[in-house]
Amino acid sequence: MDSLIPFTTSGSLVDCVDRKMMVVLRDGRKLIGVLRSYDQFANLVLEDTVERIYHADVFAERWQGLYLIRGENVVLLGEIDLDQEDDVPLRQVEWNTLEPYHKEDIAAKKHREEYKANVLYEQRGFCKEGGEGDGY
Amino acid sequence: MLPLSLLNAAQNKPMLVELKNGETFNGHLVNCDNFMNITLREVYQTNPEGDRFWKLKECYIRGSTIKYLRVPDTLLDAVKEEQNKAREAGRSARGSHVSGSGGRGRPAVQRGRGAIRGGPGRGGRGRGRGA
Repeated sequence: MDSLIPFTTSGSLVDCVDRKMMVVLRDGRKLIGVLRSYDQFANLVLEDTVERIYHADVFAERWQGLYLIRGENVVLLGEIDLDQEDDVPLRQVEWNTLEPYHKEDIAAKKHREEYKANVLYEQRGFCKEGGEGDGY
Repeated sequence: MLPLSLLNAAQNKPMLVELKNGETFNGHLVNCDNFMNITLREVYQTNPEGDRFWKLKECYIRGSTIKYLRVPDTLLDAVKEEQNKAREAGRSARGSHVSGSGGRGRPAVQRGRGAIRGGPGRGGRGRGRGA
């Protein structure tokens, strides 16, 4: 019976509405908020949103409010288990403290990806993504 | 309510629009359409690095370039209020012609702001379809 579940109802986000979700955007941002609505493009309305950044075993949050996110920019949505969300083995710190480290991480990642793209282009004939590259 | 309806309801409200390239536009929404194309007035434009600024009286942003919009938090409540008022107004206009117990007049279940589902889902996990 379990194997028929994917075919019994059409895929939709209706089960995610009014739940706390983490949204990862293509630019690498992680937003956590309550999903209030969506449409056929998976445009999302996220309420009481918080942006979270991670570095090593530490994270920081910044409150952002009500978001309307254009669906094509979303990589994934994940439901946050309210029972387990505080069990993470990470310490929380101030945003301003962590932000420089986070920016460094992003810059290093970008550099690595560019180098990789270059090698693939030069040696294997892959196309370069140019400005379209994703940050996640 | 649908995301684009929320956007329509945000006319004349201040908002922040971030484009895919990281530029941000802070301004008041004049109008929008189903493609998410928008026009803003009294706009402050910032470059992706955050170190250059422009002031624009009006601007037009093509929907396909938008990453996200940030709107005032009070907007969701305000819109729900308006929807309820409209529903009540419509109902009382129709109610005067319809006789009966007015069973259809029962208001829809209101979800309080901040209500988060998760109870039934959490409890049912492992006991629902699996067994």
